[in-house]
Amino acid sequence: MEEEDQTQTSVAAEAVEQEQEQERKRLEEDNVVQFLDSLDGYLTLIDSLSSTLRQGWMELASARHSMGASRINGALLDLKFHSAATSLQVTGDEVDYKLKQPHFALCKWASSKNGKCCSGEEEFMEDKLQMKSDSPQLRHRSPQFSGTLEKSPAKNGAPLIVDDEVQKERSKSLSMFGTLVSPKLRAAQLSFETALETLIEIANMRSTMLSTSDQVQKDLEGPKG
Amino acid sequence: MARRAQVPNKSSALIAMIANEDTVTGFLLAGVGNVDLRRKTNYLIVDSKTTVKAIEDAFKEFTSKEDIAIILISQYVANTIRFLVDSYNKPVPAILEIPSKDHPYDPAHDSVLSRVKYLFSAESVASGRR
Repeated sequence: MEEEDQTQTSVAAEAVEQEQEQERKRLEEDNVVQFLDSLDGYLTLIDSLSSTLRQGWMELASARHSMGASRINGALLDLKFHSAATSLQVTGDEVDYKLKQPHFALCKWASSKNGKCCSGEEEFMEDKLQMKSDSPQLRHRSPQFSGTLEKSPAKNGAPLIVDDEVQKERSKSLSMFGTLVSPKLRAAQLSFETALETLIEIANMRSTMLSTSDQVQKDLEGPKG
Repeated sequence: MARRAQVPNKSSALIAMIANEDTVTGFLLAGVGNVDLRRKTNYLIVDSKTTVKAIEDAFKEFTSKEDIAIILISQYVANTIRFLVDSYNKPVPAILEIPSKDHPYDPAHDSVLSRVKYLFSAESVASGRR
């Protein structure tokens, strides 16, 4: 009778151990999938950034061609005291309650009263509606990334109203090159704004990639090491 | 490990730039330019006359400033101070290597990808199988 009890206890203990081992393996696989997703996302975003920057440089070159090289050059950059109109918010996020990774959010034209802070993971639809976007879709393997990096469609198809204050800030930024500027320069401004948004997404993806790679490395070294 | 350190919360943090004139001009149009009371800027325009020492000094200055959260650096510029960029491992400010007009992005040189590529090496796979 006692032997039967002992056998049952050891069988139960083995079952619990197996369950724990399976759970550990599942978590390790999740970490690997998250790491691969973030690596894929990082490279895709870099590719998107490259095309946006190329567009911006082309528009800048066109503006220089129409306005003259003397009107668009580094010598005209404003060296009087002024604060950045576009800045960042940095918060420390917790991942799995163990690691803290920084999260960056862009605050565009924040010196205006209606300056907006948006997460690097959301699309800024105002400017996207004004520009063609050819950025490739990000592939998602893990549930964590599904829904957070997908492009959201324009809300009900209604046209978005560009804030007057934001437009004033944009004009102020353009004014260092004169009062009347080429439309190409305005287009270049929008391209570089889009590039900034992509860069914030890249920064967040980079944080995730580094923290998940650390986790994967820990898992590799963990109980086996 | 530096990445395990507390990440300070910052609002109104700046984006610094070490890049060529067109890239810096473009991002200044987007409103990231900042000039403080001592007329110090959050950017360095790199041209043919810029010395490696000047780039190093700018990188060290930007990485030590509390109010800078991201540093954008053209990859070809980062290559001139590669040892410095690769040895930097704090989470903030984040160093982002970006392409330039004449030098497309090369993932083989990216310091972030270099840090994680060991996971794809035969050694790390073998150690995982032990």
